[in-house]
Amino acid sequence: MKRILLGTVLAAASINAFAAAPGGPSCGWGNMLFEGQSGLPSHLVASITNGTSGNATFGMTSGTNGCDTGGKLTYAGKPMLVLGSIMNELSEDVARGEGEALTTYAVVLGVQPEDRAHFNAVTHAHFNDIFTSADVTAEQVHEATLNLMRQDAVLAKYAA
Amino acid sequence: MFKRLAPLLIGSLCAAAQASPQMADTQLQALASERYWLLLGHYLPSRLDGWRSYVDDDAFFLADEGATSPTAELQATLDGLYADPAQGNDHVQCKYPARTRWLREQLQLSDLPSPDCGEYRSWYDDINPHATVLVFPDAYLNSPSSMFGHTLLRIDSPDTQASGTTLLTYALNFGAMVENMDNGILYAWKGLAGGYPGQFSLLPYRDKIGEYSRLENRDLWEYQLNLTPEETARMVEHVWELRQVRFDYFFFDENCSYRLLELLEVAKPQLHLTEQFPLTAIPADTVRAVREAGLITDVTYRPSRERELLAQAEPLTSNELDWVTRLAADSAVLKDPDYQAIDSQRQALIQESAYRLIRYQSSGQERDQASADRSYQLLQAINQNPPPKLLIDTPTYPEYGHESRTWQLALGSRDDRAFAEYGLRLAYHDLADNLAGFPLGAQIELGTLNIRQYQGNHWQLEELGLVSIRSLTPRNQLLKPWSWQVATGLERVAGDDDKRRLVPHLNGGGGFSWNPVSDLQTFALATLRVEHHPDADEALSPAAGFNAGLLWRNGLGNLLMETSNDFFTNGEVRRSLKLSQHWELGTDLGLRLRARREFSHRSDPENEVSLQLRWYYY
Repeated sequence: MKRILLGTVLAAASINAFAAAPGGPSCGWGNMLFEGQSGLPSHLVASITNGTSGNATFGMTSGTNGCDTGGKLTYAGKPMLVLGSIMNELSEDVARGEGEALTTYAVVLGVQPEDRAHFNAVTHAHFNDIFTSADVTAEQVHEATLNLMRQDAVLAKYAA
Repeated sequence: MFKRLAPLLIGSLCAAAQASPQMADTQLQALASERYWLLLGHYLPSRLDGWRSYVDDDAFFLADEGATSPTAELQATLDGLYADPAQGNDHVQCKYPARTRWLREQLQLSDLPSPDCGEYRSWYDDINPHATVLVFPDAYLNSPSSMFGHTLLRIDSPDTQASGTTLLTYALNFGAMVENMDNGILYAWKGLAGGYPGQFSLLPYRDKIGEYSRLENRDLWEYQLNLTPEETARMVEHVWELRQVRFDYFFFDENCSYRLLELLEVAKPQLHLTEQFPLTAIPADTVRAVREAGLITDVTYRPSRERELLAQAEPLTSNELDWVTRLAADSAVLKDPDYQAIDSQRQALIQESAYRLIRYQSSGQERDQASADRSYQLLQAINQNPPPKLLIDTPTYPEYGHESRTWQLALGSRDDRAFAEYGLRLAYHDLADNLAGFPLGAQIELGTLNIRQYQGNHWQLEELGLVSIRSLTPRNQLLKPWSWQVATGLERVAGDDDKRRLVPHLNGGGGFSWNPVSDLQTFALATLRVEHHPDADEALSPAAGFNAGLLWRNGLGNLLMETSNDFFTNGEVRRSLKLSQHWELGTDLGLRLRARREFSHRSDPENEVSLQLRWYYY
């Protein structure tokens, strides 16, 4: 029972934090490993009624979930806040050399299917260059990835 | 009848002014009673006469009587379609794309104005709907609220499947909207009683994965549906109409699952899914209904973070698990010569488990710099020495588990008296029931009724249980969860003069479970109980005690052996020893042998043995 009550208290805190959450890389849920994503402790209020908190969220264009929808990098019109919200999974996948988040990142960067295995291998080999510390931000990760790609004969064409 | 016609007449007048097509009342009414129109307005037959809508929001309806009159709403929509196109995004065609399409097709409206629906178009293009996936976050027993699971829809774009970019899709969720913060209990009550309005929301699917898989440790089941791109598009069009629209939300029936079934009917009107759930819509049952309707083509299982951690640590020895906890607490251990002496393949497994453990522990917490640094150092170690890919077997699909309601028939004897027992349980699963599709050590029962017919045709209410929840989650070297239980209702207990008394009771307990060998779970809980016993002097008799036992998964089914001991403040000591062996006869059939011995100061010890047939249906 303690867990449940605690969850509710946390949820209460997170709602308020949420309302004030700035956009950009700070947008997203969950417990964050990387500094760039800090902010939202949240066990969602959701659990009982499967609900959402605060403003009704209805997709990116009309969304008001605290996320800044502006961003330089876009994929099929979707802003790069994608990266901000999958940073943890991405770091794990890069460390291991494969995974869903890494695939998504490759797709967002425009890497074609035939070059994805190579992309995985290159990022895996340069984990420390992409994720330089536990305090790295989504922008830094993005920038470091592009630098890495520019130095690679196969991937350079995607980082022009 | 006049009431329903009046707005119609007024509507017709307006229509004339705005040059929408003139229709005879009968034609209008016929169109308004078409199933698709009723689906779009979420109408259901009202108890008295006519219709009412599930939508509880005036903004959704164009006609004043729209909530109760599909005909008036149809007329108002028709009028709106011909409004000045300069209204742009506020034009009826832009706000109601599904209604517009349907009316255009039904009435061959070739002369409609063309407003610029920029907002809707960019929203629709962003989603780029192509395929629909039904997502079922499995029940999670340590949170009573999520015990029944949940359902949501995922909308995939054309390249989602081929490019493996599920993380870029949107999740369509129906849930209660909590605007202001009530305290926990009020919140729970309002959620159940319908105090919060329900709304649809559309969120990045990756956020939902994070919510369920990481924060709540619920497995996700993804069911690919065979809706055509056109059908998916039709549904998404209608979803736009439901933007910010409030529905009543009730936990048991008008819940997430019911609303999603309605949407599937809008996508494919030949489906008749909601009719199967007049009273309750338990998410797993709705998944079953979707399966039976032949909609499911493929299933993907996405294990929770907790399950991944347990699977990763499963092959490790006790000594290696010690390294896992030490590493998770202090990443400097990576440099420990003793650690570095370990075989590198084992190190890979240990590091990976330690990383998963830290992430598990920090789940739901504020970001902690020290923990983040430790995680990062472990990731660096994993990067140098990655473990083999973690493979987790897919458990039985939840919709292949037993059905939710149970009929029971038992024959037995209590001391020397034979009895027949007739029982019904509204939902859902107890510790000994057929296990496929359910976790071991989890019980949630609602509405259990057992009536006995003793020899000599003596009838007696044996039990009326309101709710009984038991969550026995084993502790191991890495995870230390609590086990707990709570139950309330009416049950028969020993009374004076060897009579058995029906007492209202409330009891609960907390403690631990262990898993000494696989398929065997032991548990011990401290318990508290309060009851109203007619033979006691006081109105309410409190007791403290304990409950311990074991649950063994064997070849026949589950065996549950347990002892309960209550020490009442009035001096009564009540003990019982129970044994039940369940025999799984088929998915929806089970046979159970039950034996128990009861001791109390109030009467002589009594023995009872019975054989019970359990039929799971609906």
